[in-house]
Amino acid sequence: MSLVDDFVANAEAVGCHVHRGAAPELDGAGVSTALYGLADTGSVVLAAAPDEPRANSLLPDVHVTLLREDRILPGLDELFAALGNDLPSALAIVTGPSRSADIEQKLAVGVHGPREVHVVLLSAG
Amino acid sequence: MADLAQPAPRFREIASGKLGDARIQGALDEATDRLMTNRIAAWAGLPGVEELRQRAHEIRMEVIDDLDGHVARFTDALEDRGGHVYFARTADEASAYIADVCRKRGAKLAAKSKSMASEEIGLNAALEAVGVTPVETDLGEYILQLAGEHPVHIVAPAIEKTAGQVAELLSAVGGKWVPPELEALTNAARTQLRETFLEADVGITGANFGVSETGSVCLVTNEGNARLVSSLPPVHVAIMGMERLVPTTVDLAVLLKLLARSGTGQKITVYTTLLTGPRRPGETDGPEEQHVVILDNGRTKLLRGRYREMLACIRCGACLNVCPVYRKTGGAAYSDVYSGPMGAVLLPLLVGLEQAPSLPHASSLCGACTAACPVKIPLHELLLDLRRDLVAEHVAPWWERLGFTLWSLAWSRPLGYRLSTALARLGQPLAGLLGPGRVWSRGRKLPRFGRRYRDRR
Repeated sequence: MSLVDDFVANAEAVGCHVHRGAAPELDGAGVSTALYGLADTGSVVLAAAPDEPRANSLLPDVHVTLLREDRILPGLDELFAALGNDLPSALAIVTGPSRSADIEQKLAVGVHGPREVHVVLLSAG
Repeated sequence: MADLAQPAPRFREIASGKLGDARIQGALDEATDRLMTNRIAAWAGLPGVEELRQRAHEIRMEVIDDLDGHVARFTDALEDRGGHVYFARTADEASAYIADVCRKRGAKLAAKSKSMASEEIGLNAALEAVGVTPVETDLGEYILQLAGEHPVHIVAPAIEKTAGQVAELLSAVGGKWVPPELEALTNAARTQLRETFLEADVGITGANFGVSETGSVCLVTNEGNARLVSSLPPVHVAIMGMERLVPTTVDLAVLLKLLARSGTGQKITVYTTLLTGPRRPGETDGPEEQHVVILDNGRTKLLRGRYREMLACIRCGACLNVCPVYRKTGGAAYSDVYSGPMGAVLLPLLVGLEQAPSLPHASSLCGACTAACPVKIPLHELLLDLRRDLVAEHVAPWWERLGFTLWSLAWSRPLGYRLSTALARLGQPLAGLLGPGRVWSRGRKLPRFGRRYRDRR
């Protein structure tokens, strides 16, 4: 399996919606551009920047993130190797929608952060 | 600070109550079983897990060997990024500094993300004393704060609460009845806490790790509350136990791979955040001011002794879930903050053995905790060492020390052994009525003493 296939399988396993090529029409969604994706865990990596506010992936009910396929890395080791020591003020590794099992050990989705996470894969180039 | 001292009878008193409550026993069984099974499956799915645990142990010990150096490097790196670092020797110093940060900003409301270190220093009471209202935002901690209770598990703080109890607590806040159904409860808490995130003057978090080389604070949650608390309010304060440092982000990756797998069985939590200083020029959100409070509070006492490995703990909770004592007593018997094997080792070391003399005994010494520890802390051996210290430092009562001295004298000789078993057979009818035998047999049947060892029933 390729890194992209791995990423898709793992992202769907943690409850993300993965789209290829076209972004879905979702009212009120917060949109971000992912710096990297991690195949191993199905995570998207978001770095705070002037045009990448933290709130976009935190406050709206639906978070849509755009990820270029050639930005998908195998996992955490490769991520920190790629980043080096030049870290953004806030780096968020997001793996699926917000969840909690604090009430009677039952899984609840969307406690504080977005209830839905959509990843739009863009082909390289 | 929070009262970490545990007088001798406290453990038995609280544990007895929990043991007699069938509902709590059911909740404990279910939660610890689920978390333990998840961890075992997650470890099995991680290639080279044993090498990774060994590497994690080495990384943690490398930091403990040169903790002063790491604290200095972390401080320099974060100050270069515009963050403020304060080294607090005691719980009171840490609380006072944070209260002062709040006072300077004229803060009235503080949003808090789950932090065992903040429980350890009793921060909420200190904030209330200066007119700041602290609101816990982790769902479990929020429920406990409303109930006026303390966490009973490091990663699953409210496992003893039912949906019905949660519904009552949340209904009382909103003044509107919330049905005891998961979705309704979650939505009610989401709505109530969303206001806190948006209105808070200060956000307070713990720190799962700090990275010495980059001055970054790493926060790990599933709900996303730590991200909200550290992103939206104008001031962010992180409280970090001084031992939570790792040298580099490469080392951080090793520990992150083990933390979530050991805590909940996830490969990685939903949100893993690495914060390096306050918001930078041009950024439209993030805190204008960032403070990291590095907490000693008794940790340096452990640095040079034989308990130094305890500082390697990453607070994953794996040892709680496998412990035959914790699984029955729950966390409250140990303390209001730490519990299970890690708590039974750490608390006496932080507050002094004489302040927590029963905790080293809260173990069957089976070693399940050591086998479950992702950073390979020999927990059950440390508990045994602490019991030795109880005797050596004369913390154990005189009659207990005398009893064991006589026992070891008697059993060093065949004659003494035979005499003692003969006496035991004679005394059998009384054994359950007196002294330790009476306490021991409260919840159990005393075995019958046989003529020879193999005749024991």
